[in-house]
Amino acid sequence: MAKVSEILRIENLHVSVEGTAIIKGLSLTINQGEIHVIMGRNGAGKSTLASVIMGHPAYEITEGEIHYLSQPLEQLSVFERARAGMFLSFQYPVVIPGVQVGTFLKKSVQSVRDEPIKGRAFRKELNDAMSTLDMDKTVLSRYVNDGFSGGEKKRLEILQMLMLNPKLALLDETDSGLDIDALRIVAKGINQVVPQAGCLIITHYQRLLDHVKPDYVHVMIDGQILLTGGPELAHKLEDKGYDWIDVTPEA
Amino acid sequence: MKYSKMELPSRADHLWRYTPWKRIHPTSVEQVPKAIPIRWSLNEGGSLSDGVPDHSMNDDIARIFLSELRSEKVSLSVDGSASIVHLHGVASGHAAAGRLHIDFHQDTTVVIHLSGEADWAGLHITGSVQANVRAGVGFVNELSANTKFLRCEDWIVERDARLELASLSIGGFRCKNDLRTRLNATGSSLKQAISVHGHNQRHVDHHIEIHHNVGHTDSDLHVHAACNDQSHSISTGLLTIAESANQSDASQVFKNLLLSERSRAEAIPELEVLADDVSANHGAASSPVDPDQIHYLMSRGLGLEEATALIIEGFMQDGFSMLKSKELIDEIRTRLTVHLECELKR
Repeated sequence: MAKVSEILRIENLHVSVEGTAIIKGLSLTINQGEIHVIMGRNGAGKSTLASVIMGHPAYEITEGEIHYLSQPLEQLSVFERARAGMFLSFQYPVVIPGVQVGTFLKKSVQSVRDEPIKGRAFRKELNDAMSTLDMDKTVLSRYVNDGFSGGEKKRLEILQMLMLNPKLALLDETDSGLDIDALRIVAKGINQVVPQAGCLIITHYQRLLDHVKPDYVHVMIDGQILLTGGPELAHKLEDKGYDWIDVTPEA
Repeated sequence: MKYSKMELPSRADHLWRYTPWKRIHPTSVEQVPKAIPIRWSLNEGGSLSDGVPDHSMNDDIARIFLSELRSEKVSLSVDGSASIVHLHGVASGHAAAGRLHIDFHQDTTVVIHLSGEADWAGLHITGSVQANVRAGVGFVNELSANTKFLRCEDWIVERDARLELASLSIGGFRCKNDLRTRLNATGSSLKQAISVHGHNQRHVDHHIEIHHNVGHTDSDLHVHAACNDQSHSISTGLLTIAESANQSDASQVFKNLLLSERSRAEAIPELEVLADDVSANHGAASSPVDPDQIHYLMSRGLGLEEATALIIEGFMQDGFSMLKSKELIDEIRTRLTVHLECELKR
């Protein structure tokens, strides 16, 4: 029987894209309030894992199961997953020309909450979230990610996360391309969401973990989690790289 | 030249290749039918008077034909009491026709709304922007879904003046638009944005000519066409830069969004650059809705239809982004949003 606090349970997951196996037997459980970090070389399957959890149609689950809030995910489409409280911060957020950020946020929040939004309350909530992330209000009239710098895109992702208040936050290299100040601000946003959510952070760098304290650090190599440890594992990876894990994989 | 004496244009002619004259003519091509004048009304900010100045810059068949139809010739004078002037035209009957002239002597924005149930409508608009004036003209084609529509425009922009033209094509069944602007003096500038929503079996043809007749002039043209169902959008551009028009800067961008397998869109920019020291570029692209955009929006809780509708609206709105006149952008965008909310049944 599942624990009440269980958010995500992945059992023996195998995933292919166009016939090529990417994830080869991955298991992972994330409970409410936990921060899990996945590190690994390029091409290990980290982003694929985030995409497949969110339901990207390009990926095929060939074996294994994903349970979200103790329910199988397989039958849920992408937007149903979002409405059920899942959130993916994209590694490369997409530009939507002509769609203003303010309009987009309102539609998104309205869809996820499935109830009419009261204008004044929404504006206050939005102002508070933007203030947390030190964002200028002019961003609301700009088009979604159009002409945004790398840092602006990542901040907008975190703003969406704060507004959507997810139960499961998947952050795919959200720290990439951020300067130190932006990194601290983004970490503030993540820490604000975590107490009520489970969080999976995909990253290449230890530096984000100076601001976000993970409960578990997993090393993913060739579509599998080969090693799991605490925050100290991230420091070790930063110092030694991944070669030492290849030769002594955890059974 | 009389219409009856004119040779009918062949499809080899760039202007008539995609919408032959006989397909946009209201009856059989040898006839000039009796037309009912388009009825105009104005809210505030100006007045309408009878008569138009001689503005015969072009003697092509469409303009000659429109001049021979029975239509009221109306000039709009703007008095500056309103930041934006709305002019409403209603076309009714078997064939409706109008002739409208606007001279801009002061900074103003005029939005022309053309609606009505006429089987056929023809409209010729002319105008000029006097020196150092900033003018905006919006045109919203809100005609009935069964109306054939022929529209010609001729604009002159004088020294250090700026003209912004925003055109939203959401009505009419078969529409031929021939829009020409002459940049006649140093420092004159044109920004022209056109958005087309093709749905059902709409056939929308835009021919846009921009003539840089002197140097130190600039133009920027954006045409965005979103085509659904069995609709067909054609955009042909003719950009000319005269031999003496050095230091001119011209850009033309045509984008088509194809929303169904049976929709079609053509974008054919054409450049005639005779001067040496100019900047002139053009680009054209047609594509379906980007699946990554759909996935991104759906990952934020929007259903497939809602995500698609938002992308279409954004695509069409984006055509107007390069305009400077906020009033003009807001008016056109509001009308577009209302149209799409009805059309896409969100």
